[in-house]
Amino acid sequence: MSSGHSKIVPLADLAGRITDGSSMALGGSFLHRGPFALVRELIRQGRKDLEVIKQSPGYDIDILCRAGALGRARAGIVAMEGNFGLAPWYRKAVEKGEIRLEEHACATLTAGLRASAFGVPFMPCGGIHGSDLPAINGWKQVEDPYGTGESVYAIPKITPDFAVILANEVSEEGDVRVYGTSHWDRIMSRSAKRVLIVAEKIAPSASFREQPELTLVPHFLVEAISVVANAGWPGSCWPHYEVDYPAVEAYMEEGEAVLKAHLAAAPEAREAAHA
Amino acid sequence: MHEWSGFSFIVTNLARFVRPNEITFSGVNSALPMLACLLAKQAYDFDFTYINVAGGVDPRPSKVPISSSDPVLAEGSRSIFSNEDFYDLCTRGQMDLCFLGAAQVDGLGRTNVSVIGDWHAPKVRLPGGGGGAVMLPTARRAVTWRTEHSKRTLVETLDFVTASGGMHGVVTPIAVFTKRDGRLVLSSWHPQASLDEVRARTGFSFEADGAEPSSWPTEAEADALTAIDADGSFERDAAIKLR
Repeated sequence: MSSGHSKIVPLADLAGRITDGSSMALGGSFLHRGPFALVRELIRQGRKDLEVIKQSPGYDIDILCRAGALGRARAGIVAMEGNFGLAPWYRKAVEKGEIRLEEHACATLTAGLRASAFGVPFMPCGGIHGSDLPAINGWKQVEDPYGTGESVYAIPKITPDFAVILANEVSEEGDVRVYGTSHWDRIMSRSAKRVLIVAEKIAPSASFREQPELTLVPHFLVEAISVVANAGWPGSCWPHYEVDYPAVEAYMEEGEAVLKAHLAAAPEAREAAHA
Repeated sequence: MHEWSGFSFIVTNLARFVRPNEITFSGVNSALPMLACLLAKQAYDFDFTYINVAGGVDPRPSKVPISSSDPVLAEGSRSIFSNEDFYDLCTRGQMDLCFLGAAQVDGLGRTNVSVIGDWHAPKVRLPGGGGGAVMLPTARRAVTWRTEHSKRTLVETLDFVTASGGMHGVVTPIAVFTKRDGRLVLSSWHPQASLDEVRARTGFSFEADGAEPSSWPTEAEADALTAIDADGSFERDAAIKLR
């Protein structure tokens, strides 16, 4: 028994839903289980003025900056990680004022997403006291209305237009399964207006019913899915594959031809070329 | 006797902050603390709970990854304790020891990981807020490291206060600082450096009474580090110089 129609669409269709100026919460962390095939497809389609909302973006935000597709970012920590250090094109884009950054701590970004997920206008967040971040972001402190005398920062709601998550497995109807850590994917899927999924592979619907506790996002929250093997390249997707370090190293080279070659070498591009 | 290298000095002295029966955390962009936690697990004859940003809880990784957030760090884990979980653990006051990165550290142990220059017109845009602003004031103890010991990194005045609350410990290739009465004080220095050298290369003033040359790595510490970095690639990649 199926719970509905198939939500599977081609990657170009999935990317087509994200229009210029949209904000996207991107799943994963740094080089791990990010929906990178979708990010690259947005670049191929010439998208502009996008916003990335993510606690720890890296390759994704960097390549969007490199391609001139990003306008804004709300981020906690941005780096390529491993031995690669800072994300160079992101760094240049901020230094030149080409993108507008709202700098968060990872947990303040989560608090903003929680506000959206919980249906309230703001969310208290622990810590932050003594940091300069509240001043640049206009975050307000509120005193405990129940009289403990404790003061906490209230982080305003963050509602991404989209959450885009890389899943290990999906059902055709859109149930999402993730192995290993879910990073911040769960709260992203509950806070965004629309949820899009890139999945490594399809698993039988019955398998989700057998182990429902493995389902991170139920189908009714999901709008559409693309199935792309190795979609997290050049990053990892546990337990399917690890970071492709030579590919990341090649990406880090300067030059327009490098970006072009990198986009052409991506699994989804090679797949399309052979289709 | 085992000598120190800049690399073994930092990793081992970070590990020496780990205490029995506590919860210790290592995060993203944190290869040296990741190695320190793995070293502590092998070298020290006590139990502690090691959690990490890959969701690992006392994991048994089949290899040591280049990326300190690599999912292999949750291999053999007892549970997946994911990002929201460990942040909440910290803000509710149950994180005993947390390793947090920093570009600049001041004498109060506050950190800047945001920007060199003015935030609105940055000379260098750094990675940004990350764990610090929330974890540094709420963890019971937080410890940071710098692979460069200089007046650029250990400063009198931060370009931007990303995180306040004060580090409990700071480890560089030539020095170990710990917090006393709200300020960082020198607790030991690399035996091949000197108190004068540490003073000359540190941007903030500090007390040093009771400080002495750091004790050499124990047999167990040296063996554990050799086992963890068997081919020396972490030491090579880290490229840490004394001066």
